[in-house]
Amino acid sequence: MRPLDPRLLRYAHAARRFLLVGALLGLAQTLVVIAFAWLLTRAITFTVAGEPLRTIAPTLAALAGVVVLRSALIWLLEVAANRGAAMVKSQLRAKVIAQLAERGPDWVASRQSARLSTVVTTGLDALDNYFARYLPQLLLTMIATPILIAVILSQDLISGLIVIVVIPLIPIFMILIGRVTQSVQQEQWQALQRLSTGFLDVVGGLGTLKIYGRERRQFDRIRSITEEYRTRTMKVLRVSFLSGFVLELAASLSVAIIAVSIGLRLIDGALLLGVGLFVLLLAPEVFLPVRQVGAQFHAASDGLAAAEELFAILDDETTPEISQADAVAHTVQLGSGTLVLNGVSVRRGDTLVIDHLHAEFAPGQLSVLRGVSGVGKSTLVAALLGFVPFTGTLTLDGVTVSAGSTRGWLAWAGQRPGLFRGTVADNVALGAASVDSTGPDHRLVVQSLRWAGAAEVSPATVLGVNGEGLSGGQAQRIAAARAIYRALATDCHVLILDEPSSALDSDAEAGLLVGLRHLADQGRVVIVVSHRAAVAAAADNVIELQELTHV
Amino acid sequence: MSEATLHPHTRDVLRLAQPRPRWFVPGLLAGIGSAVMAVALLACSAWLITVAAEMPSLAVLGLAVVGVRAFAIFRSVFRYLERVSSHDAAFRQLAELRLGMFRRIVPIAPAGLASTGRGDLLTRLVRDVDDLQDLPLRVVQPLLVAGTTALLSVVGIWLIVPAAGLTLLVCLLLAGILGTLFSGTLSARADRELAPLRGALADEVLEIIENLDILTAFDALNPRLEQLARTDARLRQATLRRSVGIGVQSAVVALFAGAATLGALYFGVPALDSGGGLLSPVLLGPTVIVAVLVPMAVFEVFGMIPLAGSAWRQVRVSATRVADIVPAAVPGEIPVDEVDPLTLCASDRASGPVVLELADLGARWPKQHEPGVAGVTLRLAPGDRVHLAGPSGAGKTTLAQTLVRFLDYTGSYRLNGVEARLLAQSEVRRMVGLCEQRPWLFDDSIRQNLLFARDTATDAELEAVLARVGLAEWSRTRGGLDARVGERGALVSGGQAQRIALARALLADFPVLIVDEPTANVDSAGADALVRDILTAAADAHRAVLLISHTPVPDELVTARVTLPARAGGHTVISPCGAVRGGAATS
Repeated sequence: MRPLDPRLLRYAHAARRFLLVGALLGLAQTLVVIAFAWLLTRAITFTVAGEPLRTIAPTLAALAGVVVLRSALIWLLEVAANRGAAMVKSQLRAKVIAQLAERGPDWVASRQSARLSTVVTTGLDALDNYFARYLPQLLLTMIATPILIAVILSQDLISGLIVIVVIPLIPIFMILIGRVTQSVQQEQWQALQRLSTGFLDVVGGLGTLKIYGRERRQFDRIRSITEEYRTRTMKVLRVSFLSGFVLELAASLSVAIIAVSIGLRLIDGALLLGVGLFVLLLAPEVFLPVRQVGAQFHAASDGLAAAEELFAILDDETTPEISQADAVAHTVQLGSGTLVLNGVSVRRGDTLVIDHLHAEFAPGQLSVLRGVSGVGKSTLVAALLGFVPFTGTLTLDGVTVSAGSTRGWLAWAGQRPGLFRGTVADNVALGAASVDSTGPDHRLVVQSLRWAGAAEVSPATVLGVNGEGLSGGQAQRIAAARAIYRALATDCHVLILDEPSSALDSDAEAGLLVGLRHLADQGRVVIVVSHRAAVAAAADNVIELQELTHV
Repeated sequence: MSEATLHPHTRDVLRLAQPRPRWFVPGLLAGIGSAVMAVALLACSAWLITVAAEMPSLAVLGLAVVGVRAFAIFRSVFRYLERVSSHDAAFRQLAELRLGMFRRIVPIAPAGLASTGRGDLLTRLVRDVDDLQDLPLRVVQPLLVAGTTALLSVVGIWLIVPAAGLTLLVCLLLAGILGTLFSGTLSARADRELAPLRGALADEVLEIIENLDILTAFDALNPRLEQLARTDARLRQATLRRSVGIGVQSAVVALFAGAATLGALYFGVPALDSGGGLLSPVLLGPTVIVAVLVPMAVFEVFGMIPLAGSAWRQVRVSATRVADIVPAAVPGEIPVDEVDPLTLCASDRASGPVVLELADLGARWPKQHEPGVAGVTLRLAPGDRVHLAGPSGAGKTTLAQTLVRFLDYTGSYRLNGVEARLLAQSEVRRMVGLCEQRPWLFDDSIRQNLLFARDTATDAELEAVLARVGLAEWSRTRGGLDARVGERGALVSGGQAQRIALARALLADFPVLIVDEPTANVDSAGADALVRDILTAAADAHRAVLLISHTPVPDELVTARVTLPARAGGHTVISPCGAVRGGAATS
């Protein structure tokens, strides 16, 4: 693990500023620590020398000032760290979201969306501890440690040398123990992974277990899973705690060695009490930041792991194959004729999914696209939407349209309803159509709902996240209504619905088909991807996609 | 952090998380040992140096030299032992904790859990239960260690310079109280201000990422991104505003640490002047110096307490959530056996043919006011294959859950003429089986996923049943019965999971089998084939099958159709099923 990933500085400017501010505060803190030790030593030597309180009072006052200053610096460093974390998180989030938007839906679909959004939200919170606990200590290690060593050296050469010898041992031992831990962890990894989810497996499957009358037997299972989990985890922990042990041992032993060496030289009179005490007070401070860095190692690696996932997204250099550049160029008013696919081929990675497809979809007709599962129906739709690159040409009324650049001619509903929080009306009127006007066109919303066979759903119904509050079939019809609204409101010439009736019973399906017929009658190209017999029966034109045989 | 504000039920949950003394005390002792050694190391070093400055004989110093080295070594050794021992104790308790929770979950699952919300709820619950381990590790242990060490130090210093001891005590108390108070108030305010903003941001991000295709296709992406940027800015502003308060706690602790040192100096100087009663003048100076320096070491140990405070807040949140999800009492909507089910189970009845009769059956989910299903009248006899349809929300799944007694019912539900309420739940479930909408596959091999339905089955029987549900080919390509299904069946598709679940049900040979929406998670092309295969494989003259599905079912595969009507406003609807029986062929 690199202590500080340079990409963090590259992608988040706020991180740079934090490092600068943090370094200055760290420097100030170091000076305050030295001042505190010096003043305390002075006060103590005065005391031992039997000076009255009156003589010591100015030193005590100065000490009080230093104590207040030290508190203020501690506070400022934490404030800076928290502000830094907030700014960096915000910057990284903005960068990643922009990257996702640019890469497009197909790229995003190839990753787990839940995972992605966790990475961008709560995953990023792991950076809080990285900034608040780890980075300041890392800065202090780099600033305070050399300064303090120099001060000790200047005061007492032998103590300074002891510290110089011990300090490098700490990272060396940390690395060695880290290696051993890693190999122990790798041995246990698979078993631990399975055991850690074992309890969830039993609890989640409890309904199933009850159906088979097996719930009582799970007590033994839970006990043995947890017991094995304990044994194996402890095996790992016994080794990984060693690193903490070494850190503490090195720090406290070197303080002990320094104390004894100072003590022996004091007896000889080779050293003054003031010097000895000053060095003794500074010695633990030399080790403190290094120890903290070691102790916050987990906070750091969690934070870096979260950042790593973001960097992987940001670093993805595969240029989007669909050029967004010519988007503006195509504002030609498109005609209202036949949609023709000419020699269209689509690749998914190395696999050719659609090979030189030729198809015509006439206006006024309800066309059905059919084919066995996995034949590439949805891929073809994604290509028309411009989410997936294709070769060949696409013409509408004889004019070549470049998919993806302008989708003004196309209204679409996918297999997943994908509804948003808000009212049904807001959902139906999603997009450009509702931006300029004062809101959704109520009459059009009602009509769209009716034509989608969802007349019973009130436009005022409020939906939760992911369209919560509707049944699967209702959600599917709202999604269809959304495409219909777009077709009506922006006068889209082509309407494509991907499996719009998979969750519908035959009555609702029939209602939708009537609505689609209305749309076709208005002179639109209506394409339905479906395997349902009832849909095929209602179609004017059925296009079978043939499976490609791959050699 | 007052326990008094906790719900008693939450306190029960917390009590389950704290290991018994036999496991807990060794780690605690080692922890106190380590912390005391840390303080003693500084005290002894300071004493060593100041005594040495008086240039006594080496013999006087010998003990101190040994002490310094011993404290240095044992401090680290004890710390290591503490960590190993306290983690071991927490893990041992984890078994007890999980079992205790499981004991409470068993009677209410799955219906009593499902009503609480979304699908990730279980994951959340299990993680919360595991997070309760932090109670002994990060709350109780540090509090006891830091508290004991601080107390011992106060007493020690009080013996040397009473006023300095009292100063230390006051500083510790003030630092502890003010520090905890500050951080408590601040984090409470942060939760109030930031949590809703964080939630809103997470929701918006998820909506955008999940629906990127839709937003792009409808030219609605840019407004959404602008809105997200605004939400993000609001969260950032709130975090920045709050950050001013964040470091206050550490600053307060540092301030009082300094104050304690100053106080010890202030009171120590006159003590030195007036001369000590107990100590010889040579030793008095060094001892006072110890009293001056020890507070620094004590406050370093004391630094654990604020961390324990924030760990406590998290533990409390987890415990409250666990207590909310897993109620102490079984809700009234969930049936409870009158007699201990274990004794009832003992009667091992041969699974003969079963006739299931419902009359005006209704059922309600916990925490719901309206019944989930009402007024159902139905008769299932051996050989029947009934397709139950109906719009969403009509109560199809509720009916299925009621028939296996996950939910209690109103009206009448008879099995072979005996009211189901009078039978043990396990007895009912031996007669009535259910293939759930989302069948749970255990993270194990296919063999283990089948065997728990009938653990005496041979491999040949398992392969035969896989062939019946149309998985013979698939299982061969995957490496036979030993192939793993992955976590939550991640390695199998929705349709295959349904088929495995059906194979399981066929192995158990339930006289009545309910299949709930098998095509819910299957792509539409595979749905028809799946329904057909299920009805063909489950068909048996001795078995009654109730298939709940919105996918159309060919006539030749079923003996009867039933439609649950949409339920308007929760009124009891006229039984849809009276007439249906006429069409059903009884064999």
